[in-house]
Amino acid sequence: MRLRVLPKEQVPDMVRALMADYRVWGPKAKGPQFAFEPLYDPAEMRLDYNISILSPKVALQPPQERIAVFHLDGGFSVEPVLEVEPTVIFGMHTCDLHALELLDRAFSADFPDAHYLERRKQTLIISIECLQPCDEHSFCKSMGTWTADEGYDLHLTDIGDAYTVHVGTEAGEALLAKYAQARPAADADVRRLNEVMSAKWPRFQHRLNFDAAELPSLLATAYDHPIWAELGDRCLSCGSCTNVCPTCYCFNVIDSPDLSLKEAVRLRRWDSCQLDEFARVASGENFREARAARQRHRMFRKGKWLYERFGKLGCVGCGRCIRACLTHINIVDTFNAIHASQHRR
Amino acid sequence: MSKEQVAGHKEQVAGRKSQNGKPKVAFFDFASCEGCQLTVVDSLQTHLDLLDAVEIVNFREAATLDGWDFDIAFVEGSITRPKDEERLKRIREQAKILVALGACADTGCVNALKNLQPPEEVRRYVYGEHADWYETYAARPLSAVVKVDAVVPGCPIDREEFVEVVKALLVGKKPPVPDYPVCVECKLKGNVCIFHMGGICMGPVTRAGCGAICPTYGDGCEGCRGIISHPNENAMEEVLDEAGLTVDDIMHYFTMFNAYREVGTGKW
Repeated sequence: MRLRVLPKEQVPDMVRALMADYRVWGPKAKGPQFAFEPLYDPAEMRLDYNISILSPKVALQPPQERIAVFHLDGGFSVEPVLEVEPTVIFGMHTCDLHALELLDRAFSADFPDAHYLERRKQTLIISIECLQPCDEHSFCKSMGTWTADEGYDLHLTDIGDAYTVHVGTEAGEALLAKYAQARPAADADVRRLNEVMSAKWPRFQHRLNFDAAELPSLLATAYDHPIWAELGDRCLSCGSCTNVCPTCYCFNVIDSPDLSLKEAVRLRRWDSCQLDEFARVASGENFREARAARQRHRMFRKGKWLYERFGKLGCVGCGRCIRACLTHINIVDTFNAIHASQHRR
Repeated sequence: MSKEQVAGHKEQVAGRKSQNGKPKVAFFDFASCEGCQLTVVDSLQTHLDLLDAVEIVNFREAATLDGWDFDIAFVEGSITRPKDEERLKRIREQAKILVALGACADTGCVNALKNLQPPEEVRRYVYGEHADWYETYAARPLSAVVKVDAVVPGCPIDREEFVEVVKALLVGKKPPVPDYPVCVECKLKGNVCIFHMGGICMGPVTRAGCGAICPTYGDGCEGCRGIISHPNENAMEEVLDEAGLTVDDIMHYFTMFNAYREVGTGKW
């Protein structure tokens, strides 16, 4: 599909028009940081954000949602609850776009997840190219997620006073036609885009000391590595690393009756493999009681197991877990340390 | 769960029912500010159906009832005098379920700060020249004296969590008090980490369930809900050290609401 150009001054009008028909999520300032939240005023949107505290998956898998209601009065009946509305996620970075691809695969496998998939079906993605790394913690270049050529409906690149718009889907094409007045790209726009992209690549650094494709085989021989005990000593088991991770999708299910005990609601809420109780089962047994085992579990999920299961690494290099960790547990340093120890002569 | 099963659970939990089939509930207090009972009263603003679910037979702070025939006792306050024990044991004998209501009852809360001080000094400071008139000993949570079946943590308690605990007792389930840190709820709210704004926060080792209310409004957690079962205290101390606290400061953060956990009856 042809490249288009959207002048920057049109963006607020486009967002306002979208807000009439969709719930529009976008990056907003939150104190000194940024968060993906529903927009109520186009002026709130900060497309110049570096990274959001939580990934935009919050729009597709909310931290807590109602999934069913039970009626216990006069027999038993249950009805599913699907709280879904037409949604646009505006301004998603490409690391999060890659993460979304993994969530799509995870929630479609085995027992397709109606709640996620229905929301996904009704959500359009307008992503934006990052022209510089968020900060020293991002390693998207190492993970190959610093750009994307699919997974979006529309993809913007800042070329100065305008954005070029790559159209990824027919739905994106229709959205652009209805809500904006983008013009076809002229030769000068294409030249400008290429200049901008050429300037981008050298700004990003590799931070893994080896090819990310090696991760699954590297971890295959690292199950008993001494580094897990070290991480276990430092880990607070606060769950922040997984809660901010764009590819973590584990949840817990909680049934809560009302006070009359005539109705109950089934909630699901994000859960974390780093929490003490995550692997506690009915007998009281906890099969991942040691912090070291829980950290190892997380690193193996990111670097090996999700790849084996869904054909995509579980880490997109956004660096959120590194920023969130108060005790400086660093997934890049961990992988590099394992690589170094296994290649030491 | 069928209606019959639900009814069965209710029966099991609260056999001694009033004629209307509701469990009989009583509220008592020891050394405390009574703010947790006030929160119970406050919770009626949004959960008036609490009054349909139970029959309150004793609630000095809110009613003129003084019944001693009850199934569930909610007890606020720490035990700070030898003679408190007798009354608490009497409540325990009567109650099928005894719930520690709030931090004073659950962990000893700030009352236990006195355990860090020499007894004679504390007695003189509080009671002056009449210190000898008052019998007092180290502050302690209810569980130091009797068996406690459930807790509603916090200083004060969280209104919603109190309602959840009541519901759990009505259906005969273990009350859903979390054993993970405040960080979890803080992250789920998408908050900026207090440490990232230059603040100090006990969230990484403090029991969640409050919805991270203090960090959500920009203040660091002070640990009022007690410490989780398996905190990584060494790592937490390093975090506080890195944030610029001295060893004494760190001790203060660990003891403000949790002195009993740190020193027990201490110098007493």
